[in-house]
Amino acid sequence: MAESFAIEGVGLTRRFGGFTALDTVRIAVPDGEIRGLIGPNGAGKSTLIDVLSGRADDWHGTVRLRGEDISAFTVQERRRGGLARSFQKTNIFPELAVREQLEIASWHAETPNVDEVLHEMGLVGIAHMRAADVSYGDRRRLDLALALIGRPTVLLLDEPAAGLSMKESVALAELLRDLASRWKVTVLLVEHDMEVVFSICDRITVLHLGRVLAEGAPDEIRKIPEVVTAYLGSTVE
Amino acid sequence: MSQPSERIALPATPALARVSRQVWLALGIAIIAGSMLPSAVTSTLAITLLTQAVIGGILATAVGLVIRQTGLVSFGHAAFFGLAGYFIALPAKHGLWPLELSIVLAIAMPTLLAFLLGLVIVRIPGVAFSMLTLAIGQAFHEFAVRARLVTGGDDGLAINLPRTVFGVATEVFQRPQTMFVICWVALVGVLFGLHLLVRSRFGRVTTAIRENEERARFLGYQTVVPRALIFAISALIGAIAGTLFALYNGFVSPESLHWSLSGSALIMAIVGGTRLLWGPALGAVVFFFFKDVAGDLTEHWPAMIGLMLIAVTVALPMGISGALTKLLDRIRPAGVRRDG
Repeated sequence: MAESFAIEGVGLTRRFGGFTALDTVRIAVPDGEIRGLIGPNGAGKSTLIDVLSGRADDWHGTVRLRGEDISAFTVQERRRGGLARSFQKTNIFPELAVREQLEIASWHAETPNVDEVLHEMGLVGIAHMRAADVSYGDRRRLDLALALIGRPTVLLLDEPAAGLSMKESVALAELLRDLASRWKVTVLLVEHDMEVVFSICDRITVLHLGRVLAEGAPDEIRKIPEVVTAYLGSTVE
Repeated sequence: MSQPSERIALPATPALARVSRQVWLALGIAIIAGSMLPSAVTSTLAITLLTQAVIGGILATAVGLVIRQTGLVSFGHAAFFGLAGYFIALPAKHGLWPLELSIVLAIAMPTLLAFLLGLVIVRIPGVAFSMLTLAIGQAFHEFAVRARLVTGGDDGLAINLPRTVFGVATEVFQRPQTMFVICWVALVGVLFGLHLLVRSRFGRVTTAIRENEERARFLGYQTVVPRALIFAISALIGAIAGTLFALYNGFVSPESLHWSLSGSALIMAIVGGTRLLWGPALGAVVFFFFKDVAGDLTEHWPAMIGLMLIAVTVALPMGISGALTKLLDRIRPAGVRRDG
C-alpha cells in the first residue's frame, strides 16, 4: 500500500505566460514533519504554497491531503479539511480587535481554541487591541495565530519570520518547533532566514527555477554543492 | 472531509438578551420623542420636510449599510426604492390584489431581486460595482419612462388607496403629522434591527470579509453569499423607504428610480458618516434642511449641496456622526478626570 502523506503535491505545474513558475514539482511531507522549503527569489516557493492551499488558479497536477485528492477543493474546503496557511505579507483584519478576529476564525473550527492560541502566541496582553495598533511583530504572530485556530493538521507557512528581528525569529522558530511537536501539526515552511530553517526543520526541499533541486535532512542539504552554489553560498554553517 | 456550507452559527445567547440597557433606553427615548414631535412642531411645512427627511434617512441608511458592511458603494439604490412604489401602484391601478399583499410584495420583491443581483455583482470590486448598480438602476428608470402603457411613463401613476390597510385608516399615511410618526418608528426600528445585525455573528463575519476578504476565505468562510445578503438587506430597507414614500404621496413616477435619487442618498450617507449606523439618517436630516435653506436662497441649490459635500469630505472624513463621536470621546475622559 502506498504511503499516505500529510500533504502531497504531484506533477505541480504553473505557468505565467511564457514563464514556468512550477515545473512538475513533487513534494510529499509525512505526518508530523517540519519541512523547510528554500530557494532563491523566483524559485517558486510561494507559488507552491499557493497551489497547495488553493489560492492559485490555472495550475496542473494533483494535491492530496492525507491521501485524499483535494485538487478541486476550494480554499474553504481545504481549511475545513485541516489545511491552514499564513501569508508572506501580513494578512489580518486591521480594524478588528485581536481577540475578535480569532473568535471569528474559531466559529468554523471544530476545536475553538481561542484562549489557547492567544496564550501560545503571546497575544494575551494585546487581545483587546485593534490589530492596526499593535507592533509589526505582533501582527506577524497574529497572522500565524489565525492559521492555528482549530488546531490544523497541516500548516503552510510563507515566510512567517519576514521582517522580524533576529531575537523574534529565533523565538518564533522555537515556538513553531514546540507547537508542531505538541499539537502534531505537519508544517511546510517557506523561509529565507536560514537560522530558522536549519534549526527547526526535519527535512528541507530546495527549489530552483520551479524545479526540485534537492531534498534531504539539513545536514545533507548543506553538503550538496549545487544547493550551495544556487542558494546557500558560504554563509550557512 | 466536510463540504462547505453557508452556515454561520447563531450566537449562544438570544440577540435581544444581549442588548444593553443604554440601547433599550435610547430606543424608548427615540420612539417617545419622535411620537411627541408633531405636537411640538406647529408648521405643517416643517413636519412635511421632516417626514421627507426621515424617509430619505431610511434610504440613506440602506446605502450606508452596504458601505459599512461590504465597503462597496451603491449608485443604484433608487431602483429598490422606486420598484417598491410601482409594486404598490400597479396592482392598485388594475385592482389585482389587496394593498396589504402589495405592501408585502413591494418589500419582498426588491429584496429578492437584490439578493440575486448581489450574487453576481458583489464579486466585482470598487468603481465597477458602483457603475453596475448605476446601470441597473437606470435600466429600471428607462423601462418606467418608456413603458407608458404599463407605468404611465413620465406622468407616473396615482395610487388609489383603499380606506384601510392592515386595519389602519390609510388617511394616517397621508397626513404629515401621523406619517412622520410612522416613518420615524420605521427608521428607529430599522436602526435597532441593524444594531442587532452588525453585532451578530453574521454581522461580524461580514465586517471581517469587508476588512480582508482573502483572509476570511482562508478561515473557511464563503464570502459572496454574506455580501449578497447584506446587499439584499439594504435593498429591503430601501424598499421600506420606497413603500412609505408611495403611501405618503399616493403617487409614483420614474423620478423615484432615477440615479439622482441614488446619488442624493449617497450624499446623505457620506455627509452623515457610515461608520455609525445612525450616521446616514443624520446626514439625511442635514441634507433636507440644507436643501430647503439653499433652495430659498438660490435656484442653483444643487451647487450648494455639492459645496457642502466637498466641505464635509475634506473637513470631516468620517462624516458628521464620526466628528460628533470623536468630540464626545474627547469630552468623556475630561469628565472622568473631573469626577476622579
